[in-house]
Amino acid sequence: MSYLQEVDLGGTFPPFVSFEEHFGVVPNLFRAQTLLPRVLEGEAELMGAVLFKDSILSRIQKESILLAVGVEYQSNYCVALHYQVLRSLGVAVSQLDQIVTNNRKAALSTSDAALLDFAIKLAMRAPWLSREDIELLRDCGFNDESILEAILVTSLASFLCTLSTGLSPSPDFEPRVIPTSNHTSPPKAAYVGGTGGPYLRAVERSPESFPPFAIFLERFGFIPNLSRAQTLRPDVLEAEVELFGSVLGPKDVLSHVQKECILLVAAATNLNTYCVADHCEMLHIMGLSREEADQIALDHHEADLPKETKALLDFALKLASRRFRINREDIDELIGHGFTEEHILETVAVTALNNFLNTLQMGLGTTPDVKPRHVYTLKDALPALAEEYPTEGAKVDPDASLVARVQAGDLEAFEELVIRHSRRVHRTLVGIIGNVQEAEDAFQETFLKAFRHIGSFEGRSTFSTWLLSIASNTALQCLRERKPLESFDEEDHGEEFHPRLVRAWGDNPEQLYSEAERRELVERAVMRLPSKYRVVLVLRDIEQVSTGEAAAALNLEIPTVKSRLLRARLMLREALAPHFATSAKRMGL
Amino acid sequence: MITCSEFMAEFGDYLESEVPTKVRRQLEDHVAHCRTCQVICDSTRKTVKIVTDSRSFDLPESAVKPIVDRIMAKIRTGQGS
Repeated sequence: MSYLQEVDLGGTFPPFVSFEEHFGVVPNLFRAQTLLPRVLEGEAELMGAVLFKDSILSRIQKESILLAVGVEYQSNYCVALHYQVLRSLGVAVSQLDQIVTNNRKAALSTSDAALLDFAIKLAMRAPWLSREDIELLRDCGFNDESILEAILVTSLASFLCTLSTGLSPSPDFEPRVIPTSNHTSPPKAAYVGGTGGPYLRAVERSPESFPPFAIFLERFGFIPNLSRAQTLRPDVLEAEVELFGSVLGPKDVLSHVQKECILLVAAATNLNTYCVADHCEMLHIMGLSREEADQIALDHHEADLPKETKALLDFALKLASRRFRINREDIDELIGHGFTEEHILETVAVTALNNFLNTLQMGLGTTPDVKPRHVYTLKDALPALAEEYPTEGAKVDPDASLVARVQAGDLEAFEELVIRHSRRVHRTLVGIIGNVQEAEDAFQETFLKAFRHIGSFEGRSTFSTWLLSIASNTALQCLRERKPLESFDEEDHGEEFHPRLVRAWGDNPEQLYSEAERRELVERAVMRLPSKYRVVLVLRDIEQVSTGEAAAALNLEIPTVKSRLLRARLMLREALAPHFATSAKRMGL
Repeated sequence: MITCSEFMAEFGDYLESEVPTKVRRQLEDHVAHCRTCQVICDSTRKTVKIVTDSRSFDLPESAVKPIVDRIMAKIRTGQGS
């Protein structure tokens, strides 16, 4: 039924009574955790306060958030569960299907669609969440109490999805077909990093009269800003303290240091500056040096830890990162290192708790409690893209003065632009069209179009990108006229390309041929690619424009450009392999 | 350890250095243990380098002037507008 064995806790186990009352069944996700009843007790407290209790958001709104986030997580288990709960609450199947297929605007009111958009951004792109996203919800009529609820439910969704990924319970209800997540491209918005708040109103509470704060003070020596930011819902804070106590408190299974290490590694993979700073501090309080804690956050493989603990952290990292599925082999590997099913269950629960806390913190935008020794930036999230996002002023266009002269009627300046860009435009056209003669006609047409329209060029992109866009469109038009049956625009249907030739290549394969021979081999192989793949490859690898520029020039979505580029590169690799791979005999394959 | 299909799902971003540091380590860990993915990864990188350095479809220097002259002649005689 799941990766872990189930034990019978009897029909009156209070968490199960509560789950049955509110879900109609005891979900397998919770049955999969019966090895540690205390964990279930903590979870029931949290579920009760965040999901079951009557509050400003309706149960339907909350379950819709859980469903939409489950879709984004690609969690078949959670989608089946929340879909069924929503059906039992009377929501029409057509509306649910529209939520699942990401067609929210058609299915929901403007405010409910905005609520789900917010939840999905928080769940999938939390470091990009900003005060503006909170303002958008306020504009839709949500007050701070209801926004806090939305953040809590989204965090609960992260918690449940992480549990289901780690435990793999059988679905309780009929599984739904989930479309592939399209969150592969980075948002255009600025990278905030999760500490741009606090975004919501809070009320002062004293540790003398509010027990959760007294507990924090005693355990950490301070009251975390993350808790201070939730004081509009004291009942939820109390439930969180129960959950922390039941998951993190005992040391009969995993040790306190192991749990803190899991939280640290998992928070680091989520680029959570706030939580990493706190867990480093906690490990320091537990006796590790600050440098040792930093090393665990940076790369636990290089840290002075037992190899079993490193294996445990590998598992937690894989689970927390949300990019991968946990499979039976991962569980067996931990068992091979001497861990019991209780250890594995507790690791999954601690990692799920981490994802709850990381989501909550980024939603609230709280500033760190202790000075962070590492502040995560866009460079940590997407190293290559960081260079593409200009941080100081706009990109200077080297053609700007020539363009201005042309706009003032100077033909000599236009001739200079043609000379400057002729080779680039030529490469693009021949690469896309695949025929030198036709490319020459398109070449003239490209520059004549540029000349005709340069008066309306406003410099929103560089001249070079603008010209590339004209050239690409001219070439595509040419292709469409020549090969109306070969569709450039058709959707990619997720067909996978499986490399067949897997012989190794030598260290310097380019030395096997002269420059002219290499060029001929490449040109021939590129020409044989289907046009929709060839076009993208020419722009990215021959013209070397960025993915964003290629997408803009071809009027495609960035994920489409990315998937076509990979396919093109793999096909090209296959075509070139017979010429560049080392002979199988020499490699001993 | 991640599987080969999980590796391939991230491979495009990995080639572009567009995966977070922690995920990159998991992918590198897979490549270190999986001969097939190691070969595909290495040979795809080499393919990209060969293509990028190949100067494919380049216009010979000598061909630039005549082609520019033709365009400018059209513009100057008003055929381009």
